[in-house]
Amino acid sequence: MFTENLRRACVAVMCVSLLSVAMPLPAQAAIVTTDRAVALEQRGSYVSTITAALARDDVRSRMVALGVDPATVEARLGGLTDTELATLAERIDNAPAGGDVLAIIGIVFVVLMILEFTGVIDIFKKV
Amino acid sequence: MRTTRGSLWLPPALLLLSWLSGCASVAPLGSALPPGAPARIELLDAPFFPQQDHQCGPSALATVLEASGTAAVPEQLVAEVYLPGREGSLQQELLAAARRRGRLAYVLPEDPGALLAEVEAGRPVLILQNLGIDAHPLWHYAVLIGFDAVRNQVLLRSGRQDRLVMSWQRFEGSWRRGGRWAATMLEPGTLPAQPIALNYLDACAGLEAAGMLDGAASSYAAAADRWPENPLVHLGQGNVAYARGDLRAAVGAYRRGVRLAPADAALRNNLAQALLDSGCAEQALAEAREAAELAQGSALAADVRVTLESAMRATESTGTIESCPDSMAGGDTEQSLSLRDDAGNGTDD
Repeated sequence: MFTENLRRACVAVMCVSLLSVAMPLPAQAAIVTTDRAVALEQRGSYVSTITAALARDDVRSRMVALGVDPATVEARLGGLTDTELATLAERIDNAPAGGDVLAIIGIVFVVLMILEFTGVIDIFKKV
Repeated sequence: MRTTRGSLWLPPALLLLSWLSGCASVAPLGSALPPGAPARIELLDAPFFPQQDHQCGPSALATVLEASGTAAVPEQLVAEVYLPGREGSLQQELLAAARRRGRLAYVLPEDPGALLAEVEAGRPVLILQNLGIDAHPLWHYAVLIGFDAVRNQVLLRSGRQDRLVMSWQRFEGSWRRGGRWAATMLEPGTLPAQPIALNYLDACAGLEAAGMLDGAASSYAAAADRWPENPLVHLGQGNVAYARGDLRAAVGAYRRGVRLAPADAALRNNLAQALLDSGCAEQALAEAREAAELAQGSALAADVRVTLESAMRATESTGTIESCPDSMAGGDTEQSLSLRDDAGNGTDD
């Protein structure tokens, strides 16, 4: 008798849990976050829900590899937007990367050096 | 022969060098001064925290946070923003730390005038400089605390120097090489001196992402006053309401946005999701179908498909059972107007 009741209780619990699995959960909601919508408007780039989740995992492991205490890494990720996470997932190793016009400096310098060494110009000895 | 060639190359080389150092191209500080601003300002009350090794980020952040009324000490911030492997702090992490303390971290437009306007409003500005060149960057955070248009120079709290005087030309160059990045810390619900809608909404979204929903709500309310026609404001208000579990307010906000921008797939997608969670599967499906059509071939397509699929599943499984409240079903104006008030007052919780 007792085993019978237990069996019925188990079946009931299983039914309920199966039903709840089948129901759509709010946690799976594909809400477009505000920061992603703003980034789409601002820069024409959009981070999907899946990309954002992958980026979060990526940044978490990169941060730990870069010396962040694993106990605090989750709290640090807490204030970042999906768009920021996607940016960091892409270039945490060389961010902040700014300016483009002055990238020319490096190129100009290298070109001058090459011209100098090949004897086309002679500015470095003269100046 | 060699000598002649060398002297021939000298003038253009010097010209090139002067161009590279940016001597000729930088307009004086005065030309960036906001109309009506005084020629000289120094924020004497701005706090100063001399930096430790590599830790200009925590020091500069502590300065702007404390100036905004949030107690902060660099030692605590180090554990939150310093990235040992990079021997420095990332811009995104500085913003995140400010948001976690309830500040609206507003990234300024890439315009020197906007920096000066913030200082004029009494707020020191966190800036990123590249003190090297692009090929060999030397990233450095400092805080702009004053300017002098007559002498064409700025005042900074920088590193171990509590009052660094720098010529405008040098400052502008290093700031430009740093990507013209600057941020100011605002009290939630207040606007910067020269507000730009997308920058402001981005800052609000940051507070929202950090889970500071009250601060995000009051900031979106300020945005709604300033830019009532901007659909993104209503998306933000809807998302805050949704995060709080207030589905009625969320549906109302998304509907307001859809009325302003009927072709916005993001708003319709979120409206569909909020309706779905409210038990309005039929209405949700209609919105999700609309969203899917609008998002076709766009970056949003994948996310909208998820919503559409769960709306389809919900209509199949609920069948005749429809628990949708009457207030959710329609999008009548009166209902939405009352929801607008709800959303505005939600900040006082």
